[in-house]
Amino acid sequence: ACDDGEIVIKMSHVTNSDKHPKGIAASLLESRVNEEMNGKACMEVFPNSTLYNDDQVLEAMLQGDVQMAAPSLSKFEQFTKVFRIFDLPFVFKNIEAVDEFQNSDAGMAMKTSMERRGLTGLGFWHNGMKQMSANKPLIKPEDAAGLKFRVQPSDVIKAQMEAIKVSPQPMAFSEVYGALQTKVVDGQENTWSNIYGQKFFEVQDGTTETNHGVLDYMVVTSTDWWEGLPDDVRTQLGTIVEEVTAERNAAVGQVDAEARQAILDAGGKIVELNAEQRQVWVDAMKPVWEQFVGDVGQENIDAAQAINAKH
Amino acid sequence: MEVLVLFMMVIGLMLMGVPIAVSLGTSSILFLLVLSDTSLASIAQTLFQAMAGHYTLLAIPFFVLASAFMSTGGVARRIIRFSIALVGHLPGGLAIAGVFACMMFAALSGSSPATVVAIGSIVIVGMREVGYTKDFAAGVIAVAGTLGILIPPSIVMVVYASATDVSVGRMFLAGVIPGLLAGFMLMLTIYIIARIRNLPKGEWHGWGEVRRSGIEAGWGLFLIVIILGGIYGGIFTPTEAAAVAAIYAFLISSFVYRDMGPLHVKGDGHNLALWEKPMALITAFFHRDTRDTLFEAGKLTVTLMFIIANALILKHVLTDEQIPQQISSAMLNAGFGPVMFLVIVNVILLIGGQFMEPSGLLVIVAPLVFPIAMELGIDPIHLGIIMVVNMEIGMITPPVGLNLFVTSGVANMPMMNVVRAALPFLAVLFVFLIMVTYIPIISTWLPTLMMGPEIIVK
Amino acid sequence: MAHAYEAKTALGRIVNEIEETAIAVILGGMTLITFINVVLRYGFNTGLIWGLEAVTFLFAWLVLFGVSYSVKVTAQLGVDAVINLFSPATRRILALVAGAVCIAYAALVLKGAWDYWAPFAGLDATSGRWFPTGFENSRDQAWYEVVDLPFPEWLRWIEPIMNEGETYGKLPRFIPYAILPFGMALLLFRFIQAFVRIWTGESTSLIVSHEAEDDIKDVQHLNAGD
Ligand code: NA
Ligand code: NA
Repeated sequence: ACDDGEIVIKMSHVTNSDKHPKGIAASLLESRVNEEMNGKACMEVFPNSTLYNDDQVLEAMLQGDVQMAAPSLSKFEQFTKVFRIFDLPFVFKNIEAVDEFQNSDAGMAMKTSMERRGLTGLGFWHNGMKQMSANKPLIKPEDAAGLKFRVQPSDVIKAQMEAIKVSPQPMAFSEVYGALQTKVVDGQENTWSNIYGQKFFEVQDGTTETNHGVLDYMVVTSTDWWEGLPDDVRTQLGTIVEEVTAERNAAVGQVDAEARQAILDAGGKIVELNAEQRQVWVDAMKPVWEQFVGDVGQENIDAAQAINAKH
Repeated sequence: MEVLVLFMMVIGLMLMGVPIAVSLGTSSILFLLVLSDTSLASIAQTLFQAMAGHYTLLAIPFFVLASAFMSTGGVARRIIRFSIALVGHLPGGLAIAGVFACMMFAALSGSSPATVVAIGSIVIVGMREVGYTKDFAAGVIAVAGTLGILIPPSIVMVVYASATDVSVGRMFLAGVIPGLLAGFMLMLTIYIIARIRNLPKGEWHGWGEVRRSGIEAGWGLFLIVIILGGIYGGIFTPTEAAAVAAIYAFLISSFVYRDMGPLHVKGDGHNLALWEKPMALITAFFHRDTRDTLFEAGKLTVTLMFIIANALILKHVLTDEQIPQQISSAMLNAGFGPVMFLVIVNVILLIGGQFMEPSGLLVIVAPLVFPIAMELGIDPIHLGIIMVVNMEIGMITPPVGLNLFVTSGVANMPMMNVVRAALPFLAVLFVFLIMVTYIPIISTWLPTLMMGPEIIVK
Repeated sequence: MAHAYEAKTALGRIVNEIEETAIAVILGGMTLITFINVVLRYGFNTGLIWGLEAVTFLFAWLVLFGVSYSVKVTAQLGVDAVINLFSPATRRILALVAGAVCIAYAALVLKGAWDYWAPFAGLDATSGRWFPTGFENSRDQAWYEVVDLPFPEWLRWIEPIMNEGETYGKLPRFIPYAILPFGMALLLFRFIQAFVRIWTGESTSLIVSHEAEDDIKDVQHLNAGD
């Protein structure tokens, strides 16, 4: 509990606090703030959606009931559509390219792009690249054609699935495991950490290492609250967030690899694609870019491609 | 300390005749306004999200509706006649059949209140017909309904698995034997009570009646096949199954049994056949009987969900103030061995279960006790089952017990009567909890047999 | 099962018909949408992507709209074991206190509902922690859309009013959320009515009285002689 006189920083997120990349980062942030800012500020983290889910947390932030959150980037598409670039398939080659893009001018601009609507971005947190799993082996896009995939609610991801003739299905997250098990839906897409954490691999034939998209988060705070903080508190807190972001983003490859290995250890199957096979997926999904270029801006796509070339 | 005031306030308001929902909500709001900086707007948000954000609670309105169509349309009456013909003459027969029906249904549904709703409204009426008291009938169903979260599938187990990183499949397997055992213990208790108290039983009308009533009830019984087949055949999720059941019950009632809707003829006259009035295919959807059934189901849903929504407000406020964490860490920091530790876990969960709904409590407590349990060498699957059984008990103990509320609603009887009626069976669940707590093999045998020994990754 | 509610005036009958039909239609809609999505997915490998969200919103509408009705017909569940021990005079006082608690509850939730909804509708939330003391200058959130439900074409005319002329892709949140202030205002109204009924001696309690019903049924049972 917080002492009197301390500025209370409530943060709510949806994952566990010790295994998921986001949960680990939030726990680290919490312990650093409580140690280094003791007397000035005090942070309380509510993991596992115990207080709010990703949708509700932004509303709660705007009404002043929580001060920090780290929802997945697709939640910000309602604030400004430029965030759709992260949902587009194959725009980023790997997580290093994502990282470089987020730290470029384009990425920096995105952090402040929502201030007119009351949110200030403090940093991007990685989860990792998305993979595809189904109840049959997926080698080429045709293997997925005609299947039903549970998708996160996002127009871009729906379009991406329709591009490979997959029927996108909305489904509450709590029902996905059971639905995959009984084959109400055939497949899903997610990062290694999530596929391992939610145990989806247990009820899928295998997971194909497509690395076709990115699932990242942005640490956000309320613009009004942030600007109302005393200067020294804001500066110190900002610095801690930056350091935690850098430290955990650098380690995310490790967490990702551990989750991938844990799936193998638990008997899950992983299908690796060679460059040629992967290109078939790229060709099948890339037309989706055209549909959303107006939202994300050609210059941002170009910037991402320039960064890809370096990796 | 503040929690104690909150606790007293909830109970005090309830006993004063304030509706349960308002007792929960008012206490939570005052607690929030006095002790935190959180806004009243967050209460409104929680209230809306209680429905909009809890997809699995949707099974409640759909099963209420399915039951309503089955009662109005004569499906329930025929099923009850069949059950009475089959087991009504045995001591405790129909009550045992009720437990069995709950176990069957638990294997379809991941939620306990949904189990009570689906089975209760039919079986309680049936038991009344044979001459059981309403209290006894309600008590049996309220408790047997808790098997919904122990027999897989189980939403609570999915929550536990994702909070603690154990396998959902293993958890599901682990629930099978405890679920069967608990069901068996309840049945045995009923049989003993029936023998001692000489519970009423009907007369045996012979196999002819069984056959006749069975054929009559066939369309209704086929619903079980549809639900089972639909879920395990991958056609729909358990929540969707409830909606499908409602539509099926509507169609059977309106077009096959014709005990309601445009083809129904009041009095002794024969109901119309569809070819005599083909317009019924359309008018059935707008018929007064259909509207009235939808409305009655809606009304019951509203009263149940308003209580659940306010229970979720209470959960939100307790979470916001980090009360469960404080209590748990105070008790866990004492440093006990495995035996004492499990007692403490049970105590925390039993107390918590008085106030919070299962998934909400579990998601908070599991990550707190899990690391300590691992240190003490307790099997994570075993711990999970202990937690689920605790959640079951929480659902039938006042002041906050979803099964109590739902039973009170579907049986149309005072909540305190349900509490009293559930007591003997609650005692059985307690014995069961002790068995599950100190005999790990009940939970771990089947998953180990099917999936091999567990690798614990710390 | 339950006794049908009898309104006393023509207006009362019309209102009652509207309330009951709305409850029936919402529940029917939820069931149909869910069923249609099952058919579309299994039979046609497609689906209404907005179906899930629509059903959850209708669920919220059902309960938040219906709760005032349940107060009107005294269908709220409660514990009457203790109050039944007291004399009618004491019971009346307890019922009045309980009624006051319900009014306070509805008033607090209504303030919360307004404060939550108003920014989404481009209006101002009230200031004050317990009681509304005025209006604050809330940040306009009328741009905030739901996740899946598409914006209906026939509503395009609200864009210049609500969204500074920008087009809505999805339904703005203030539409589904409007049930909160509306439903809670109705709830407050019904609790005040219930309080007046107890005051005038027209009714004795806010909660379902099961005892009376049970007594009647038990007697019927005896009369029927079975
Ligand atoms: Na179950
Ligand atoms: Na309880």
